[in-house]
Amino acid sequence: MEETLVSADGKNLRAVLCQRCGCRVLSVGTATLAKRELLLPSMKKKSSLADESNPDCELLVEHWLVHDMFTFENVGFTKDVGNVKFLVCADCEVGPIGWHSLEEKNNFYVAIQRVRHE
Amino acid sequence: MDSRPGYHRGLGGGGNNLSYGGSASNSPALTGGQARRRKQPPRPADFKLQVIIIGSRGVGKTSLMERFTDDTFCEACKSTVGVDFKIKTVDLRGKKIRLQIWDTAGQERFNSITSAYYRSAKGIILVYDLTKKETFDDLPKWMKMIDKYASEDAELLLVGNKLDCEIDREITRQQGEKFAQQITGMRFCEASAKDNFNVDEIFLKLVDDILKKMPLDMMRSGLSNSVLSLQPEPEVPPELPPPRPPVRCC
Repeated sequence: MEETLVSADGKNLRAVLCQRCGCRVLSVGTATLAKRELLLPSMKKKSSLADESNPDCELLVEHWLVHDMFTFENVGFTKDVGNVKFLVCADCEVGPIGWHSLEEKNNFYVAIQRVRHE
Repeated sequence: MDSRPGYHRGLGGGGNNLSYGGSASNSPALTGGQARRRKQPPRPADFKLQVIIIGSRGVGKTSLMERFTDDTFCEACKSTVGVDFKIKTVDLRGKKIRLQIWDTAGQERFNSITSAYYRSAKGIILVYDLTKKETFDDLPKWMKMIDKYASEDAELLLVGNKLDCEIDREITRQQGEKFAQQITGMRFCEASAKDNFNVDEIFLKLVDDILKKMPLDMMRSGLSNSVLSLQPEPEVPPELPPPRPPVRCC
């Protein structure tokens, strides 16, 4: 990961934007770098998120983590897939760009590989 | 870098202090690379508001939520799992407002939307399809739900959608206006989610109305991580609602 993305205290130095439409997801300094292996369905094609047997997933490790959903500038939450809600761009709905488990009420992850930085 | 040039379209001269949050809210001071790296405490939202979009099946509720912002919609990129709700940021009167917008599509049976949906909503957008009379005829039933469950100070906005299908219009603008006039404090407009006509205005107007009623120091910490679970409501007898109490102001 580029060093310029993260501050000494682990915060995002640049705003987090949708790769596709540039919609602002997170402002500077609002999220913390977190490493965790999360499986997100592919963004490249119209994959069926609801189909859990779908192998077209990607294991992503680096994320921006926020603890309050109102920290987001703009984001969409999908309907439940099992006990998970995926995060998508609020404007163009491209995604999933992130992950939220209903069992972890205060954790919202945005995959660094699935967004761009201002 | 505002990559959404269509955002301010249609706001016209009258809405000069209304701008969309997101990327449009960057101050000029932030455009230089140096300025961006300057240590700045992130600015928290001033208000958090919940808005719900209700109305009969097929009236375009989901399109309204999408069209609130997006001019470059691409069906192929959408996930097949629908969106439950969105967090959107609006800058209005120098305040930064986070909206949590719930689209109730798929739960159109009047009694299937849980009361929790209504209870915490500060704004309710009731949508009908102006080319389908039955969706207009359903409005009293939706009002019944609002009267039963919604907070009395919730702002109400009636939207006649599909203005782009003028040829097929079955409900005149006057009919819509008349319905809204019967309900204290209800605003009315017609819109086209397809053409993005009036859509951003709808949300900004609703938020503006909510803010006007609200003491400025309120709502800063109202909602937190509330993912409502939607449970079916018990059957509600299909009778007309009582008139809304006259205490609702403006």
